[in-house]
Amino acid sequence: MDLHLALVGALAFVTAGAGALGGLGGAIILVPALVLLGVDPADAAPLGLLSVAAGSLAAAPTNLVEGVVHHRLGVTIEVAASAGAVAGALIAASLPVAIGVRVLAATALAAAIAGAVRRGVRNPPEAAFAAERSGEWPGTLAGAYTLGDRVVPYAARRVGAGLAVMGFTGVVAGATGVSGGFLKTPAMTEVMGIPVKVAAATTVFTVGVTSGAALIVYAGDGRLDVHAGAAVVLAALAGGRVGAWLQSVLSPVLVRRTLSVILVLVSVVLGVRG
Amino acid sequence: MIPSPASLPSRDRFAALIRFLQGVLVAAVVLAGVGLFADAAAWAMVGLLIAAPLVRVAWLGVRWSSRGDRRYGVIAAAVLGVIAAAAALAVGT
Repeated sequence: MDLHLALVGALAFVTAGAGALGGLGGAIILVPALVLLGVDPADAAPLGLLSVAAGSLAAAPTNLVEGVVHHRLGVTIEVAASAGAVAGALIAASLPVAIGVRVLAATALAAAIAGAVRRGVRNPPEAAFAAERSGEWPGTLAGAYTLGDRVVPYAARRVGAGLAVMGFTGVVAGATGVSGGFLKTPAMTEVMGIPVKVAAATTVFTVGVTSGAALIVYAGDGRLDVHAGAAVVLAALAGGRVGAWLQSVLSPVLVRRTLSVILVLVSVVLGVRG
Repeated sequence: MIPSPASLPSRDRFAALIRFLQGVLVAAVVLAGVGLFADAAAWAMVGLLIAAPLVRVAWLGVRWSSRGDRRYGVIAAAVLGVIAAAAALAVGT
């Protein structure tokens, strides 16, 4: 890769911060930014995946303490998502650059739409579950989580349809280097009926596995610039912390909508260039 | 909907896993810093980022299987199988 490490690091810092602030993740902005600077999409993708993996690892201890990750649901959808990611990474290696850029443009547009769509509270609290602790129920794809001082039970629905969508998100993640979280979380909430808080935390868990599956393929294909990867990991972790802190002083809704506009512009530029 | 049996807070149930992941994160940051200049450290960082979630899945699979939840133990093993297939493909290409 021809880009200077400092530039790659600066990009990863800014995009991770913006992604953490807007709830879209950093890779969806980082990978298109690298491609716009002349990096081959198949070389930019593994750098995006490294930022995803680092972010997932950084968030894991906090999510485990909060008890909102549904691990059984996560591994169930990961069978499809990881298989899709491997397929996507294999496809990316043989895609012409122009098509890879267009796939990335479409992905950025989808992320822009996902970030702009509002979500309401779909799973109401139930008094009968007031004594339940937050967490998943053994042997099931159901559980409960605390919303303020109330307990919300939930159970996954339309699991087959959810798995199909997860397979597709895996292909997108593997081929483009983004986490696919902007597709996974809405798939869990809209298709499978999972509360947003649980879906988001479970997505953070699963994207770590998905990105790892695709990274193995890219590493084996000799597409991974490890020095640039080290810069991305350091900068993305720092940027993510700053973004999480900024959430307390900036409006996440305003930031998410701003990011959506930026992603639409990125999508248009990539589409024209491709 | 049938409520689950009483259980410990999540931070207690997953205390060992939390400590492990926190340690891996610190190691990944150190390796990334050294990895800016040294290939071996950079590759070790990549290996750690790939392996950490897989260790988490394996830990969960063993835990579920040992507590009689075999279905999800098998599903966790299936995820690891997909990753193993990816590794075989990577070596093959």
